[in-house]
Amino acid sequence: MRYWKPIFVGAIVMAGLSAWTMVDDPVPTGPYPLHYPASFGSRFTIPADNPTTQEGVYLGRLLFYEPRLSATQTISCASCHQQARAFTDGLALSIGVHGKTTRRNSMSLTNLLWVRQLFWDGRSSSLEEQALIPLGHTDEMGSKPGEAAHFLQKTKPYPALFKQVFGSDTITDVRIGQALAQFERTLISADSRYDHFLAGHYQLTESEQRGMQLFNQSPSPDRNVRGGNCAHCHGGAKLYQELFHNNGLDKQATDSGRQAITGLALDQGRFRVPTLRNIALTAPYMHDGRFNNLDQVLEHYSEHIQPSPMLAPELAGQPNGFHLTRSEKTDLISFLQLFTDSTFVHNPQFANPHLK
Amino acid sequence: MRNINAQLAGYWQASVVIVFLLTGLTSQAQTVLTVSGEVTKPLTLQAADLTAMAHTQVTGKDRDGKEHQYAGILLVDLLKQAGATVGGELRGENLTKYVLVKSIDGYEVLFALPELDPDFASRSIILADSVDGAPLGSGVGPYRIVVPGEKKPARWIREVKSIEVRFAK
Repeated sequence: MRYWKPIFVGAIVMAGLSAWTMVDDPVPTGPYPLHYPASFGSRFTIPADNPTTQEGVYLGRLLFYEPRLSATQTISCASCHQQARAFTDGLALSIGVHGKTTRRNSMSLTNLLWVRQLFWDGRSSSLEEQALIPLGHTDEMGSKPGEAAHFLQKTKPYPALFKQVFGSDTITDVRIGQALAQFERTLISADSRYDHFLAGHYQLTESEQRGMQLFNQSPSPDRNVRGGNCAHCHGGAKLYQELFHNNGLDKQATDSGRQAITGLALDQGRFRVPTLRNIALTAPYMHDGRFNNLDQVLEHYSEHIQPSPMLAPELAGQPNGFHLTRSEKTDLISFLQLFTDSTFVHNPQFANPHLK
Repeated sequence: MRNINAQLAGYWQASVVIVFLLTGLTSQAQTVLTVSGEVTKPLTLQAADLTAMAHTQVTGKDRDGKEHQYAGILLVDLLKQAGATVGGELRGENLTKYVLVKSIDGYEVLFALPELDPDFASRSIILADSVDGAPLGSGVGPYRIVVPGEKKPARWIREVKSIEVRFAK
């Protein structure tokens, strides 16, 4: 109980600070160029009615860090998506405005420009639509439809900013979602040591080299090949494939996962394959945050994969797991740590603009 | 008597409604494959529809390196049924069309339309529903694309749920 007081005072101070939001004069305008490596490819769609502009991203970033979007004016998107943690919150399950926990672990907001089906269950096909879901969810930001828009309409900087971005100073939920989506599209992580290695500017250590082999190879006992086959689902320059799989956490899934969206029995207990970008920063792991660290994750894939009819075929072929040795696990973890992008987590353009 | 009849009629109506609701739900749950996109008659197919279609046998080498007998529906037959531009119509700008096949798990693979048309291609690409006489197993079936002769079976997409015909833009 005694811990609540400083948190409460902190929240008041934060709310007070953001009430004096300073806006740049003039606000930067014009198209916002999105820079990314050619290997990431251009398989993404930006809605024609919401092009990425500097003014839009500027507004979206203010809103991302705006606690006044929540019903209690204490929680912003950034509460559960903290830049230092690659936009996660370090908790198994996040805590919403009413003190209740969310159903699933906060996802890292990284390279969302390319993600086609958002959330752990892939329910949302656009960032515009996605952004409004936590805003309205009672166990997240808890705002009733139109409530946050109505509130911001009465504040100093926002109506003018919305006018600059959307040509009208009327604030609506849809426009809040559009501005947040614009900011989220800019959260591109492509400057990790792994990226430097791919570009030929970093030499792997021996342990990292062995870790990479385990990551990329499928085990083949006949040919004496060791492997974790991680790249099958987490491969490619972006370190994920857009897939939904049951990775054998439980014999009987306690969360139906994607099945609740598609209604297909085969989808029971299937969840998004998340990106491994910045994976060392985004503990705890899995849709329910059950694993506290990467050792536990590797322990699962090594020894504890639970069989079920829905289990991903690539995992079903390995009885209980990949049976990695202790030194193989160490090598894999040293390779996984290459995915940490400190430029991304320290980029001032993604930081809280209310604290300038 | 009239009252009893009215009551019976009420029960009858209620049960008809319930039966309609149930059949509505089950038929919705039974959709196993859609064929859509640049087609004149989009298809929403149930397992029985696919079972009833003509089946072709092909032989192909799976990841285990062994030859297997697969049976299934020629992809081109599904495309014909949906009114895609195959056969005589596969010319001019229609040669820039492709077919995107999607799996339940989100995997996607692409075929150029002529790859599936017997006027162009000598191999028969099928939507398989059985292997060596048995239904496809979990994680593979109920439907899987089989491309005979292809050296790497990466386009043998498992758990097929939809086929879309699109124009390259």
